Amino acid sequence: MSEEKRSFLSLEGLGKRFGDHEVLRAIDLDVGEGEVLALLGPSGSGKTTALRLLAGFEVPDSGRIRVGGEDVTGQPAAKRGFGMVFQHYALFPHLDVGANVAFGLETRGWSRERIAARVAEVLDLVGLTGFEARRPGEISGGQQQRVALARALAPEPKLLLLDEPLSNLDPSLRERTRRQLRQVVERVGITTVLVTHEQEEAFHLGDRVAVLHQGTLQQVGLPEELYERPRTRFVATFVGRAAALPGRLEGRDGEVGRVSLGAAGDGQSWSGALGETVEAGAAVELVVRPETLAFAPPGAAGGLGGRVVGRRFNGPITYYEVQPELQGLPELEVLADAGAAQVGDTVVVAPSGTGPAPRIFARPVEKTP
Amino acid sequence: MSPGSRRRSGSGWGWWLLAAFLAWLVGYPLLITGGEALGGSAGWSLDYFGTFFSRSHEWLALWRSFWISALSVFFSALVGVPLGFLFERTDFPGRRILGALVALPVALPPLVGVIAFLFLYGESGFVPRAIQLALGLDQAPWRLQGPAAILLVHTYSMYVYFYLFTRAALARLDGSLLEAAANLGAGRWRTLVRVTLPMLRPALAGAALLTFMTSLASFSAPYLFGGSFRVMTTQIVASRLNGDVTMAQVETVMLAALAFVALGAMRLLDPGTELAGTVRGVAPSRRRLISPLARWATAGAGYVLAVVLLLPHATLLLISFVPAGTWTVEFLPPILGLENYGALVSRPDRLRPLVNSAWMAAAATAGALLLGFAAARGAVARRGKVGRLLESLVVLPWAIPGTVFAVALATTFSVDAPHLGRFLLVGTPWLLPLAYLLRDLPLTGRSALSGLRQLDPALEEASAVLGAGRWRTLRRVVLPMVRPALVAGAGLAFITALGDFVVSIVLYTLDTRPISIEILSSLRLQDTGLAAAYGVLLMLVSGAAFVLWGRDGGAA
Amino acid sequence: MLALFTGLAGCGDGRTSVTVYSPHGRDLLELLEKAYEAKRPDIDVRWLDMGSQEVYDRVRFEAANPQADVWFGGPDTIFSRGAADGLLQPFRPSWADAVPADSQQADDLYFGVYLACPILVYNSAAVSAEEAPRDWDDLLDPRWRDEVIIRDPLASGTMRTVFGMILARSVAETGSEERGWQWLRRLDAQTKEYTLNPALLFEKLTRQEGLVSIWELTDILLLQRRGSPLEYRFATSGTPIIDDSIGLVANAPHADEARAFIEWVGGEEALSLVAREVFRLPARRDLPAESLPPWAQKVLAEMTPAQVDWDLIEENGARWMETWDQTVRAKGSESQDL
Repeated sequence: MSEEKRSFLSLEGLGKRFGDHEVLRAIDLDVGEGEVLALLGPSGSGKTTALRLLAGFEVPDSGRIRVGGEDVTGQPAAKRGFGMVFQHYALFPHLDVGANVAFGLETRGWSRERIAARVAEVLDLVGLTGFEARRPGEISGGQQQRVALARALAPEPKLLLLDEPLSNLDPSLRERTRRQLRQVVERVGITTVLVTHEQEEAFHLGDRVAVLHQGTLQQVGLPEELYERPRTRFVATFVGRAAALPGRLEGRDGEVGRVSLGAAGDGQSWSGALGETVEAGAAVELVVRPETLAFAPPGAAGGLGGRVVGRRFNGPITYYEVQPELQGLPELEVLADAGAAQVGDTVVVAPSGTGPAPRIFARPVEKTP
Repeated sequence: MSPGSRRRSGSGWGWWLLAAFLAWLVGYPLLITGGEALGGSAGWSLDYFGTFFSRSHEWLALWRSFWISALSVFFSALVGVPLGFLFERTDFPGRRILGALVALPVALPPLVGVIAFLFLYGESGFVPRAIQLALGLDQAPWRLQGPAAILLVHTYSMYVYFYLFTRAALARLDGSLLEAAANLGAGRWRTLVRVTLPMLRPALAGAALLTFMTSLASFSAPYLFGGSFRVMTTQIVASRLNGDVTMAQVETVMLAALAFVALGAMRLLDPGTELAGTVRGVAPSRRRLISPLARWATAGAGYVLAVVLLLPHATLLLISFVPAGTWTVEFLPPILGLENYGALVSRPDRLRPLVNSAWMAAAATAGALLLGFAAARGAVARRGKVGRLLESLVVLPWAIPGTVFAVALATTFSVDAPHLGRFLLVGTPWLLPLAYLLRDLPLTGRSALSGLRQLDPALEEASAVLGAGRWRTLRRVVLPMVRPALVAGAGLAFITALGDFVVSIVLYTLDTRPISIEILSSLRLQDTGLAAAYGVLLMLVSGAAFVLWGRDGGAA
Repeated sequence: MLALFTGLAGCGDGRTSVTVYSPHGRDLLELLEKAYEAKRPDIDVRWLDMGSQEVYDRVRFEAANPQADVWFGGPDTIFSRGAADGLLQPFRPSWADAVPADSQQADDLYFGVYLACPILVYNSAAVSAEEAPRDWDDLLDPRWRDEVIIRDPLASGTMRTVFGMILARSVAETGSEERGWQWLRRLDAQTKEYTLNPALLFEKLTRQEGLVSIWELTDILLLQRRGSPLEYRFATSGTPIIDDSIGLVANAPHADEARAFIEWVGGEEALSLVAREVFRLPARRDLPAESLPPWAQKVLAEMTPAQVDWDLIEENGARWMETWDQTVRAKGSESQDL
């Protein structure tokens, strides 16, 4: 959906270092008007820095930020006219909810009535009508989150920034709040950048997801694209559940390669899609997702012997953790019926042929100490 | 890389400018004094240090200064910290009023305050006489003399620092941290030791610094009660009175050196690292004592404590009603009258010192608040060299005994050489308020610092994102948030300046004659009653300040 | 309050001010201020009351921008320091010739105005006149063990003078200080407490924490007038009389007015006024006896001036007090340490 819309926010070669540490390396990113982009990455990936650069709290060392064609790179936060919801909400504890929401409106020279009307309007939008006189300390975490959202939206910002907006809520509340957040953002139709380390959050809230790792942009795309066609080994293992099995690339046929498993490459031969250009004979990793594996009868072609070391019941599905016999292989997960095996069973695992094809990436060079 | 720890670059020169300004006011005078002393117009050379080091009694005085100050910190903390917890964390009838009363020792006026102690606990004071009568002793049960007496007075007048700082810090503490600790299965004691106290560390370190430096510079108590027990301040006075100005200077330098060592040690304890004690959640709620017995027992103990703490004030009030020369060996004064107050009112110019003190203390507090807050902002915003410099400069005036600091100011500003940054201020009415301001700076600066350190940087960012410029963010977000800390600091600063004696005696002029000098002058005339009457007036003004601040919801 | 302040802050009534720094205390200063202003309506006498050591410190600090015109009061030891530091300027008032030669010095920088007389003090409510000590040596009587309270000698010119006299006598009579030190050690053993200031001294004597002391005549007479039970006696072996001087501050802002004031203070009218009202004994010897109040006539009749080698005291004073402070004062205090 986003591809057709013209780019509203663009990061061009954005870079930032703190001392010797390069936190963000030449990020290029476009966000369409009205689009919700989720910046996904583990802690330390640079996603928070990216958001702070966007907000104007930090000045980039290189690159520019354009919003609606205007270069805002050097503009202070107060001039940018963005809205932001902070991780801990940063509600002003000395002001009541109404004053918090009105805070961004006060510089506009509006009449008191007009401000009050707008405050009531946005509070209504987030479902907190009548909460004006409450103090932030007197309302629940979920309500605080919604006040923070109302406060950010009240001045009708050009861009909404969300910093881990749900991480402070307990899980029972998180899903409902996420849905409400999604609804509000959709109704307002505001261009939004969201930072999160939770994949589910990114997938649910983001129209597109951008994965960051060690300051570099790994891949941007629809959630399905990231899941099914990860472009880097990091994306493949970070997004969704997956095991990276070491092996050697026996040969390739177009985009499909065959990998003999094991650190030495002398084990079973499994096939997968080539995620990047790799020469035949190179040390590779085959990234497989649980739903592409199944238990097979003993002696099945390509069957990998192993022992069940763990089992996680997850409602409709059950994950089995299997330790392959083959030297150098890590534990892998298999999705199967609830009664398929018991912990301690000896099993055979083989590709089921369903689900997204396993991906092949060059094996990272191991550092010898 | 904690978010918010780094601000936008640029405008850094502003902080350097501020640091330079503070250095000029605070550090430069010391350099000038040190330089002139070493340079030898007064003619002392390193030989005098040799003399100092060769004399065991000089060492002894230095050592006594140290351990008296260290023990003063210990005992003040022992009294002040639990009191802070009691009044901030539990709720019982009368808590608000008692909480304000407990801070009153800080408002005990100089000189006469110590004399009130003498009337109360001294050999012929109320308490020993009462004990003597009750037990039928032929002698007073004790004499208020020596180190124990000094420590008693120090603890009494300085625990307030710990009390106020503890309360202010507890009021800002994130309650969820305590809940988190409780969730992790920590008992009450463990939560206290592992969570609460570490979070209070900046505040406690600040109080310890103030207490240590105040007792290091304390003069009245050691002089009045020390007898032959000499500490460095009394040793300096002895040398000066003996006409040995040079030895007095060497002793002053040694005292300042001790203070600097202590400051350095304190910095090790509190390296200014920001504990993540930012105000995110909600302040912990006061624990209501549920059992009525516990409530009333706590309230009762609180009232008894308040009475004990207010005894010196009451004594002073009583003395102020005793006409001169009428109270001799009786347990209670035989005659009470308004003569002393009459003497005050009969000549309107006798009230002038009070007016002087009030306006100078108010102006100094306002200035110190402004400078201290600005410096604290700088220290929090910039954690590099400027930040550390600003932080050190702000506390520097406390690291120097008041007399030394006053002499340094008098020396520096007794020359009209604008190109050297020296102006002729001696003899003008501006020097004394300036000195008060600088002496107040550590109080306002430190409290601003601890307030700002506990402020979540995200709040300022939130304000900025919402379009508020620097000034609006300051006015609408930062100031309201750190107000309790600022109020506590300003309250202390005002009262300190109002009752200051050590700096005043060096720098006052005819037009800025403060009330402490008037008290001294009454004492010189053997007019204890009149001195007490002045003391009572001083207490009233301090008390009024307390009431005003108390209503402000601050910890004071 | 504000009106009061502004009213007081500006002294814009057209009068010329004379600023006096003095340890003489409010009573004397107010008295002289009123009397002088009545005589000279164009002059506003302003005074700061402080210790004699403080006068010196203050004048020294303000040397670059002098605020004081007249330095009024203090013993020779302090005035001589001020003279050595160039804090005074020469002025020889007309009454200077009437001042005894040993109350003058070569440069005309300061002159004695009043005499201070160290005396023996006792609480008459607890000690009868017969029992009371008659001479300095009587203070060493076992009867007064732990009943002697004296002002800290380091801070007191009076006490310094008495101690100096004891040591100077020892030198004069035995050729060595040893006998004098013995005397001082015995006095220290008798002494219960050294007090910070005169107020505490009198407070403690009045409350009978101690019974006998050494102090200066004027204060005791002032206290007696207020009904104090403190009584005094001149030492039979002689009183070391101390000059209390006045001088003109160098670069005084109102030097001419200050000269006129000094002239007046040492004049017969003012001397007789302060003798009557606040018990100051004039240093001048040319005043007719009838111009002095009865107490002063009695004092001059009863008191024997001590023969003292003032130069020896001047020369050794600082060393003696330091030695006293280190080796004599309250021995055995070391046990108070950690």
